[in-house]
Amino acid sequence: MNVLKLLSAFLKVNIQMSLAYRADTVVNILLNLMWLGWELLSLGIIFSNTDTIGGWGFGELIALLGVFRLVHTLMIALIWPNTEKFNQSIRDGSMDYTLLQPVNSMFLVTFSRITVWRAWDLILAAILIVIGVNMAGDTTTLLSVLTFILLTVSGTIVIYSLWIVLIALTFWFTKFDNNVTILQALLDAGRYPVTVYPVWLRILVTFIIPIAVATTVPLQALRGDLNLSRVLMFLVIGLASFLVASQVWKRGLKQYSGASS
Amino acid sequence: MSAETILVEKLSKTYKVPEREGGFGAAVRSFFKRKYNEVKAVQEVNFRLTQGEIVGFLGPNGAGKTTTLKMLSGLLHPTGGKAHVLGFTPWELKPDYLRSMTLVMGQRNRLAWDIPAADSFLLNQAIYRIPEDEYKKTYKELDELLELGPLMKKPVRNLSLGERMKCEIAAGLLHRPRVLFLDEPTIGLDITGQAHIREFLREYNRRTGATILLTSHYMADVTALCERIIIIHHGQLKYDGGINELSRKIAPFKLIGVILAESNSHDLSKYGTLVRNEEDWEKQYIQVKAEDVTRVTSGLLADLPIHDITITDPPIEDVIEQAFNQ
Amino acid sequence: MFKIFRRLWQVNWAEQWQYRANLIMYLLYWLVSPIIYLAVWTSIAQSKGSVNGLTPNDFVTYYMTLLVVDQITSNIVIHTFAYKVQDGSLSGELVRPIHPMLTNALVNNIAFKALTIMGFIPVWIVLFFLYKPDFSSVTFSGILLALPATMMGFLVGFLLSAAITSLAFWTTRVYSIHEFYFALMLLFSGQFVPLTLMPKLIQDIAQYLPFQLLIYYPIQLILGKLSSTQIVQGYVTGITWLVIAILVFNWVWRNGVKRYSAVGA
Repeated sequence: MNVLKLLSAFLKVNIQMSLAYRADTVVNILLNLMWLGWELLSLGIIFSNTDTIGGWGFGELIALLGVFRLVHTLMIALIWPNTEKFNQSIRDGSMDYTLLQPVNSMFLVTFSRITVWRAWDLILAAILIVIGVNMAGDTTTLLSVLTFILLTVSGTIVIYSLWIVLIALTFWFTKFDNNVTILQALLDAGRYPVTVYPVWLRILVTFIIPIAVATTVPLQALRGDLNLSRVLMFLVIGLASFLVASQVWKRGLKQYSGASS
Repeated sequence: MSAETILVEKLSKTYKVPEREGGFGAAVRSFFKRKYNEVKAVQEVNFRLTQGEIVGFLGPNGAGKTTTLKMLSGLLHPTGGKAHVLGFTPWELKPDYLRSMTLVMGQRNRLAWDIPAADSFLLNQAIYRIPEDEYKKTYKELDELLELGPLMKKPVRNLSLGERMKCEIAAGLLHRPRVLFLDEPTIGLDITGQAHIREFLREYNRRTGATILLTSHYMADVTALCERIIIIHHGQLKYDGGINELSRKIAPFKLIGVILAESNSHDLSKYGTLVRNEEDWEKQYIQVKAEDVTRVTSGLLADLPIHDITITDPPIEDVIEQAFNQ
Repeated sequence: MFKIFRRLWQVNWAEQWQYRANLIMYLLYWLVSPIIYLAVWTSIAQSKGSVNGLTPNDFVTYYMTLLVVDQITSNIVIHTFAYKVQDGSLSGELVRPIHPMLTNALVNNIAFKALTIMGFIPVWIVLFFLYKPDFSSVTFSGILLALPATMMGFLVGFLLSAAITSLAFWTTRVYSIHEFYFALMLLFSGQFVPLTLMPKLIQDIAQYLPFQLLIYYPIQLILGKLSSTQIVQGYVTGITWLVIAILVFNWVWRNGVKRYSAVGA
């Protein structure tokens, strides 16, 4: 309950902040639409030259674009602004205040900045997913939809956890403030089904920087490409990565306070 | 519950600082084998504060003041010794502890820059779980003492430094902490701003009985607020006692600053010790014993073509430096 | 003059070296999308034999050449310069008797490239062994012809970016404007896909725009895919745009500085 109260307090503050920069918000929405246009156009270009890529059709790629945009929104609406705030607070020392607040510091670091208007991106993503799935004409059952949602959530958690680990590294290597670029750089790989990639790239984006776990994998579940043990494996990975990330974060805090040997 | 609000015993902090030399070769070497220098920031410091005390915590730059405050607020783990604040061990960072103390640092912002402070206050209300009626009551009281009203609606970036500091302090006090750690709360403020904050702190302490430990560069802060001071130097406790005893203990000096109407060809050293002041090249400074000030001043005025003359207290660091560095 | 550039080089090299860890990250960012496009298109071409006449090898050589060309013609002016206008630190540079953009920023970009190339080469070699491309269409004369074209592409790109960056004298939203420029670049330069696979309309427009001078034209020159008429056409377009870019940059810069000093930042 208290978590919800806190979240709504953060939301209020962030709405205030985006109102302070109204014109920027409008410009950003326009740019966002421009990129959506480009993404659809680029898919159009690909499919004017072929019918399938990596065994996936046009509709499925539209749906994948939707899922990709979910992850992208997580990146833009939470990860980027909070990374900026985090790095800033390490530089100017205001991190001290964050740590002295009687709330879990990982929570504070995750939600203190929220690019609120990006919420509409989520709606857009949902629309893309629904249209894409319909175009593809795959048979969906209640179970497959449920698995899809679960895997999307757990995949997102995997990426979130990786982010926590990356920023926690700053506690050890103070100069490491371009930490999140690697995540952003490989994010683009999530636009296409991993089945199209050569093996080395597939391994990279599935296991090392696991973008695909949040993009390709949920849709594979929806298509019925994954058996139960695979689904369970990915769910376990989601849970495990979150636990690992919170441990690394705790260690990082110890390092920061000089409690580690 | 211990009788003391703050209890510090043999508290020590040693930093390990990697030794760095310039150049590529050194960088490669240090990658494989790092040499560390040990910096003893705080060494076996002991002191106690009882409830309701305001104590000035003094020392020159790098003496270990901030390190001690950080340990007491829980940000830093000590390398030795112990500390109890309100019965808690600070660095365990128990939420109940965090809800009953505050740390305000003059040079750091906790308020979001782009929005009015009022909104950041509401966020703090949620973070500290302050019930609505209590929040209103505290806010009203702070508003009365600090005259926050007109400042609350403006984005923080549009406030002056003094106004911002008021808001920062208020933000740190919304949860009615029983212990206040203040690190340079008046730094950078003009004289009126400093006086405001000082007055507020005294009144807040009187009303709530909060215990306050503060560091400051300004002697006036300390003389106005604290009856007791603690001095540390090179990480070691050098003095703990009444402020008046200290002035008696170390021979009090005054600084006389002089601008001569003509060129600086006159030798001032016969009047007192010449002191260099990096910030003010125009003036020449001489240091004299407090009881000699009147005599020396009238002598100067009689003998020399004086354009301007000022009498000031020496900076607090110099006093401490002099008293303990012999 | 030479001495100034040498000194500037030393300073900027040292500065970039300081940030080498960050640079590796930027480099990665730079390399990823072409490699993804490479993977996607070769996969499509493999499954169909060829796409619109382009074989898998055509795609591999195209994107691998693109990596080299892009490394040379791209620039980071917007990231290293715009903030100086916004936070006022440009003032110090303006009072020096050298042009902040055409000397310092230019050399800074070159130092950046010199450093990133060290990370770039191993990646390229790894790709080479992974895909074993057949570069037999590349000729010595093709490379000779491409060298000035690539330099020209760099200069056109640098001056246009510098002009956009100089808009920071007027607006804080210069990054958004640059983002738009970046999107145009994706659409018309051949970065996403060889221009021949683009819709006819985009191809027609693209040949008159400066963007393909940075990517598509040098690649096709290196790969020996152009007829002599096309080569001449390309150079004419390039020189025209170079002149336009010089004029535009000059105009924006001069008025911008005027405005900057009037505001007294």
